[in-house]
Amino acid sequence: MALYEGIALIQEKQAVVLDLGTDYTKFGFTGEAAPRCIIPSEYWCTSERRFKRVYDYNNEEELYDNLVHMLHLLYFRHVLVNPKERKVVVVESLLSPTMFRETLAKVLFLHYEVSGVMWADSARLCALTLGAPVALVVSLGARDAEVVAVVHGCPVLQAIQSQPLGARAIHDELARLLDRDNGTELHLPDHVLEDIKVRACFVPGRARALQLAGGGAPAARAAPYTRAERSLSVSGAARELAAEPLFARDNEMASLPDAVLQCIALCPIDARRELAENVLVTGGTAALPGLRARLAQELRHLVTLPPYRDRLRVSKFKFHTAPAHDNAAAWVGGALCGAADGGARALARDAFARERRLADWPSLLHTTPRTHPHWDELAEAEPLG
Amino acid sequence: MAYLTQPDYIKYVCSCGQLKPITNLYFCRHCLKIRCGFCICHEVDSHYCANCLENMPSSEARLKKNRCSSCFDCPSCFHTLSTRATIAQPRQDPAAGDAKIENKQPKKMYYLSCFNCRWTSRDVGIPDQPVASGGWPERTNPFAARVNQLLDYYKAIAQQEKQEKLDRERKKFAIRGKYMNLTDKTGLTGAMARNIAGLASSESSSSAIANFVPSQASEEVEELPEDYHTQEVNLKQITSMRQRLRAAEWQPRSAARLQPAARALSVKRSQRCRACDHNLTKPEYNPGSVKFKIELLAYYHVPEVKIISYETVKPGETTALLLKLTNPTAHEMQVRLLQPQDVPEVEEREEPKSIEKSLEKSLNLEKDSSWSKVLQRRAALPTACAVRAPDAALTLAQRDDAAEYDDDPQHDTSDIIMWRKSNKLALRLQVATAAGAAPGGPARAALALQYSYRNTVPPAAAAPAPRDHTLYTTLVIHLGTVAE
Repeated sequence: MALYEGIALIQEKQAVVLDLGTDYTKFGFTGEAAPRCIIPSEYWCTSERRFKRVYDYNNEEELYDNLVHMLHLLYFRHVLVNPKERKVVVVESLLSPTMFRETLAKVLFLHYEVSGVMWADSARLCALTLGAPVALVVSLGARDAEVVAVVHGCPVLQAIQSQPLGARAIHDELARLLDRDNGTELHLPDHVLEDIKVRACFVPGRARALQLAGGGAPAARAAPYTRAERSLSVSGAARELAAEPLFARDNEMASLPDAVLQCIALCPIDARRELAENVLVTGGTAALPGLRARLAQELRHLVTLPPYRDRLRVSKFKFHTAPAHDNAAAWVGGALCGAADGGARALARDAFARERRLADWPSLLHTTPRTHPHWDELAEAEPLG
Repeated sequence: MAYLTQPDYIKYVCSCGQLKPITNLYFCRHCLKIRCGFCICHEVDSHYCANCLENMPSSEARLKKNRCSSCFDCPSCFHTLSTRATIAQPRQDPAAGDAKIENKQPKKMYYLSCFNCRWTSRDVGIPDQPVASGGWPERTNPFAARVNQLLDYYKAIAQQEKQEKLDRERKKFAIRGKYMNLTDKTGLTGAMARNIAGLASSESSSSAIANFVPSQASEEVEELPEDYHTQEVNLKQITSMRQRLRAAEWQPRSAARLQPAARALSVKRSQRCRACDHNLTKPEYNPGSVKFKIELLAYYHVPEVKIISYETVKPGETTALLLKLTNPTAHEMQVRLLQPQDVPEVEEREEPKSIEKSLEKSLNLEKDSSWSKVLQRRAALPTACAVRAPDAALTLAQRDDAAEYDDDPQHDTSDIIMWRKSNKLALRLQVATAAGAAPGGPARAALALQYSYRNTVPPAAAAPAPRDHTLYTTLVIHLGTVAE
């Protein structure tokens, strides 16, 4: 036994990669091409006797409990390794709340005693799966659509665009269309809506969408959808138009193609053309059939219209394909990143024990020199614990 | 036994502040504290397949990606697949004629079938196998080759960065000695010398960098066919999200591309107290056995309280409550009922420092106990209802399996003891409810127990620890809802 432990001490254990999404959690080992498991981000809560989502929390304590239970599920039911003394790569959004990050750090370092955590933002990791120096990452998640420009390994922070145009927006529209077609309020649960969306819905091309909006097009074929308690017919309109909110333009210019173009417009002028020629559309929602093609058509059309025509001199849009399924692109980036640098960039546990603070881009503390008077002010304001 | 399907009527307060039924709690005999799944350390003990109950060493499990090599799950409904045998007549080959007459014996062929949803491996065109187990075609991840290229590239870059950093350091501290060495004199560097000698360049990583092709963006995006909206759709032929995510590496969209999934292994866990690092549970290695080598459950050490019956709780009134206390240990137990606020705060005793301890500390091996602060919760104890606890010490006899067969309950003539039977005791108590208790709300009362506990752990050789301890536990009793 002693010999084995000696070997284990010399050899770094294979790190794990954690991507805690709003709907689905991706978890697996670094250096592998696909996550070991993609499971809903929820666990069975024995005290409340229901499945509880990790992101359902009111305070820090509740979030801590949720994360402990979720990670227990991941480590001991799916990946089957000891969390202790093993490094973790956490894939997170640039816009993830500070409280969530800090609680996750506490859970990992103090509850599960991992030896190090590498925090990596999903945009950069998505760009990593391409190997291209410049990439415009359009990530369509469960809640938000985020557009981040990554230029030579740096996300352009002032150009980040985020709009609530993720899977939820499609579900809401789908529920509305189904209610309208069936004439009653169906109150379909979320997982049924998701199932209908995944199996029946698609995104029509721009030409057809215009025809549909004009009312001069024959409807698409309806699809019968069978459920245990009740069957319903998913009308052609519901199949085709569920994803329309992503492209609906109004004066606020908050549609998905607008967000992409605004992100390009806010980037440094010498990177704009490059960005437009290196677009990566990823995230689970991007797997909807026809969505990429529609986005490309909308972009090519919008860029010829007023606000963008003058500001952007971009003529071509080119699209990348990541070597991963859409819902796991950021995870694969994390697996690559974690395997390549062998945990050298990870925040070690003893460093966290000395100072309970995570480097984060909105805070300049980690680049402030130790001799700066700001540190003394901070120490007076709140003793770090 | 607490209740399998019913809600937990009695919850104990764990030392970390969580409320749990007694069946979910552990008792550390070394710290003499109640522990729960939240405040202990879980460890993977052994891997096994829950279907064929086959053990798998952890190194092999790692190699096989935690999948059993002989069991498969249905990709459609996730039930276990069964192997079915059929007799296959060898195809008559007209050209061969009678030459292979001896080969005509019918051969047994095997395929996988799901008894739940009737999916078979023939549905997706997997050929039948001549052997019953194994031999099923394995699919590789379509992206694996590209991901490996990327991995080599990034590893080479990381290596190069490290090398550059080292070189810089070396340059900084390079000591210019008095003596000239060969490379100084000739102007040869190590790399050049290697080159001349025809050896492989020391920077073998550079080839991975040079040969790497970044992903090429294309203007064409895969568009749906023009008549996509008029095509017939059969939703049964399109996989659901769960079916896709089961095969995270392939995520097939069409049901015809589903493949039998090798069954995921399960693990046996051993559990450890975080404060003293002693094992609380340790399962037996054999996957078929549900027994434990070490099993320190609270159920075997802490007096169990059950509700016999209770009167409906009314605001401002006093109602009756009948409780049963059980002593699970093999020693007589003194129990005293207390109010939760009377439980003395556990003071953290500073252990007398031995030389070993201080050595550990100096070596920084001492356990980091910062976790306890994060874990620690203050249990929210109900205050609306209070159990009137009589100030009397009750004696609970030790557990005696033979006494189970005595049937005459020994009646004590006490106003609170209703009956007594071997290690059990029924109590008649009163619950006082505050007048302000909200009608319709849950009626919960907190109660604390002081009990004597005899530690049966063989004491350490040096210091004979006291064997009898007085311990405290707090529990919350659910008494339905407050009446109108």
